[in-house]
Amino acid sequence: MTAHRIAFRRLLVAETRKLFDTRSSMIMTGILVVLALALIIGRGVTMSEPPKLFTLAGTAAIPFGILLPVLGILTVTGEWSHRTALTTFALEPRRARVLAAKCLPPLGAAVVSCLFALLIAVPVTAVTAAARGVEATWSISPQSLMGWVAVMALTTAQGLAMGLLLLNAPAAIVIFMAGPPLWGFVRQLGTAGETLADWLDVNTTTNPLMDGDWNWVAFARLATSVAVWVAIPLALGALRVTRKDIG
Amino acid sequence: MIEFHRVSKAYKGVKALDEVSFSVRPGGITGFLGPNGAGKSTALRVLTGLCRPTSGSATVLGRAYAELDRPGYDVGTLLDAGAHHPGRTGREVLTLGALLLGLPKKRVDEVLELVGLTVREGRRTVGGYSLGMRQRLGIGHALLGRPQALILDEPANGLDPQGIQWMRGLLRDLADAGCAVLLSSHLLHEVEQVADHIVMIGCGRVLAQGSVAELARGRSLEQTFLDLTSDADRSRA
Repeated sequence: MTAHRIAFRRLLVAETRKLFDTRSSMIMTGILVVLALALIIGRGVTMSEPPKLFTLAGTAAIPFGILLPVLGILTVTGEWSHRTALTTFALEPRRARVLAAKCLPPLGAAVVSCLFALLIAVPVTAVTAAARGVEATWSISPQSLMGWVAVMALTTAQGLAMGLLLLNAPAAIVIFMAGPPLWGFVRQLGTAGETLADWLDVNTTTNPLMDGDWNWVAFARLATSVAVWVAIPLALGALRVTRKDIG
Repeated sequence: MIEFHRVSKAYKGVKALDEVSFSVRPGGITGFLGPNGAGKSTALRVLTGLCRPTSGSATVLGRAYAELDRPGYDVGTLLDAGAHHPGRTGREVLTLGALLLGLPKKRVDEVLELVGLTVREGRRTVGGYSLGMRQRLGIGHALLGRPQALILDEPANGLDPQGIQWMRGLLRDLADAGCAVLLSSHLLHEVEQVADHIVMIGCGRVLAQGSVAELARGRSLEQTFLDLTSDADRSRA
């Protein structure tokens, strides 16, 4: 009988569709695209040094770093905000499968967004270089490209984890947004605060992913921060959703 | 086809359901009748695997709901007509269900027509629907996979008189075709007109069950219902 279960592919298609089938999700996607375009073009126009493809594409990281995690939060909390969990889990009572299918599309969106930013950056780089009569830098090290995509995916995963743990979009968004300023404050609290931030602030522990400056300590820091902000809340949230009473 | 076997459910020590047992046979409509807060919705959520019973078990087609392979094909459920994303169109709600069940797009059109929603209404977002339209959409969603059992929580709420008459006809046709229908309501007259069999519940306990004639015992069904539910309230107090 297992052959007749809802295929995971179908769950994935339905959950991906839910990212784009409401007015609010369309607005969110629209903002993401427009901001990426505006920032990359704006940076190209105002840049004083000769244009670099990767620097221009990377400009989009600022809106992506905020909007992608929010997209993740809204995706996993949506079934509770609108009480559609009743319908969703009545069609597929194996809740863990639904959750897995829910987490993958925002991660995919993170990867697609990076590629999209790169795609826009190509003509902007070319036009800017031509307009100024300077030589553009096209080369991108595969390592920093992969690192960039990984950081975006990780940030999105952080949003997913926080959303799944709290099942409350406003609370999850506030906690996510409060992170960077709070870590800035913790760093001011002497060496203990600095050590804490070095190990737990995802914004710094992910730096080696971008610059390739790896050693065992850097790896341990990244692993610790990812465990605390992604793996553990994701696991606890999933455990809670699979066990709790719905309705 | 649907069996409750001594189902109890306690929330923080308060018993929402107390040894509830009854069954629903195919080819008939069972009305699950009780005042607000009697435990009807809790019972239906236990039945559909959304809530865990403290003790006892509920089965559909001989299995726990959560163990059915593709419950959408076996059992149609409408647990809360309000539980839709307000920004999604009615058609999109059905399309998502059809996608999960692997049904063709054509089925979405069929279901919209079956529940009396026009093409234009289908294109509107659910946020702008009246409660009656949401009930129609929810019933349509439940019928997508042509199930053998239907579980409907307060489906008549918000329907206008024409809508109620339409629903009666629809449920009667489904039951005549062999479907087991379980519908809950706090509206006695509604249940009386459509159900073959009635299960009365109050304060989490089954107070009486039987055919409409059996329960009325020569008086009005309403009198039986009021007597039983006030007895249940008194014994609890």
